[in-house]
Amino acid sequence: MNASSLIAKKERSALLQNQRGLAWLLTYAGILSAFSLLLISNRELSLLDNAQVVYMMAGTVTAAGALIAVIMGSDAYAGERERGTLVPLLTAPVSTGELLLGKAIGLASAWVIMYLLAIPYLWAVGANGQNLGQAIFYLGLFGTPVVLGFGYLAMALSSRSGSVMSSLLTSLSVLLFSASPLLIGPGLRNSAIGKALDAVNPFSGALNTFDAVIIDSDPFTSQVGRLLLVLVWLGLTFALARLSARRPAFR
Amino acid sequence: MKHLKYFLAGFLLLSSTLVSAANLQLQLESDRANPGQPTMGNWMHFNSVINNTGQQPIEGLVAWISLVEVTPGKEQPMDLEDWSAHKAVTGTTLQPGAILQTQWPMRLIQSGDYRVVISATDRNNKTVFTSPTIQFHVAQKPVVESTRILPVALGIPLLIGGLLGVQKYRHRHKSS
Repeated sequence: MNASSLIAKKERSALLQNQRGLAWLLTYAGILSAFSLLLISNRELSLLDNAQVVYMMAGTVTAAGALIAVIMGSDAYAGERERGTLVPLLTAPVSTGELLLGKAIGLASAWVIMYLLAIPYLWAVGANGQNLGQAIFYLGLFGTPVVLGFGYLAMALSSRSGSVMSSLLTSLSVLLFSASPLLIGPGLRNSAIGKALDAVNPFSGALNTFDAVIIDSDPFTSQVGRLLLVLVWLGLTFALARLSARRPAFR
Repeated sequence: MKHLKYFLAGFLLLSSTLVSAANLQLQLESDRANPGQPTMGNWMHFNSVINNTGQQPIEGLVAWISLVEVTPGKEQPMDLEDWSAHKAVTGTTLQPGAILQTQWPMRLIQSGDYRVVISATDRNNKTVFTSPTIQFHVAQKPVVESTRILPVALGIPLLIGGLLGVQKYRHRHKSS
């Protein structure tokens, strides 16, 4: 087993076998449960069309997944530094590239766990409605680059800042700004500024795709542009993380 | 003479009532685009026409929509909180012969039998004028099902919480 796989395995097990990792998963499940319970306890929300509910749940899963990814990414380097384990890691026979790859794969594994956890929630709220299968498929296709991108961005900041708090706050600010379309409906984003932001915001790209394929049953061909947007986001953030991880701040 | 006084008083009272009653005329119709068999979650629109049939302008007109449930055994006035955001038209002035057309949107929140009515009054007139009522039935709609959501929404956090508890127990056991 090479160094990257070992680090990835350690990161993955940290989520499932570590108290802190399980607490993060509990937070994630708590967010999805709270949203689901809101749907059945609020008369107005319970009347929503099933496809609309599935779309909202897919957006919530993406936001909650990105939130956990940001926490994990912020902890990746700065957390090691604060626990005093970064210097031993850097002096071990592991290249900075392998270290980053291990942590990136660990983050991806954590997202896979979160994605699998989200499927029962999607089924629970949308089994009666249309396009549940599409919702699960597109959540994987578009949610993965968005969530991992935020994790890699946090990783890059964590590597450079050396402080969990600092990288977490910066990444959360970016995430909050990007996820604002969850709160602002498509109608309100119809201005020139709203359209321009939608065109470059990967979170909007994913949300607009969920809207198009789950509610409007649009075909995949009309989503290619948005897929490119989220893949570019993933590529850019990973490149940034790679650049930052070459010289992590360890003092 | 005494009879003449009564006659004059009665005449004045009657004529003032007739003038007031003729001031405003309200019509109410269900919109043509409304669903034939309304279901919970549907939108319905009601169109009202308020006509000033009097000789004087109507100042400070207030018109509002009311909804009453008439399902047998559940007769009650409804709070329009969830049903409609457009509950009243206020402060309008209507010249003699002028009309005010208003569309009242309504989202059907609960199943049952309902009656809708538009009422209107103005700043100076103590009379409340009402339109004819429209009755409709709202059919039940299967909504987000709690039987599926509750086990998932409670079960998954409980499962993870259980794993967390086991981890804590093991950790404590190891350290002791």
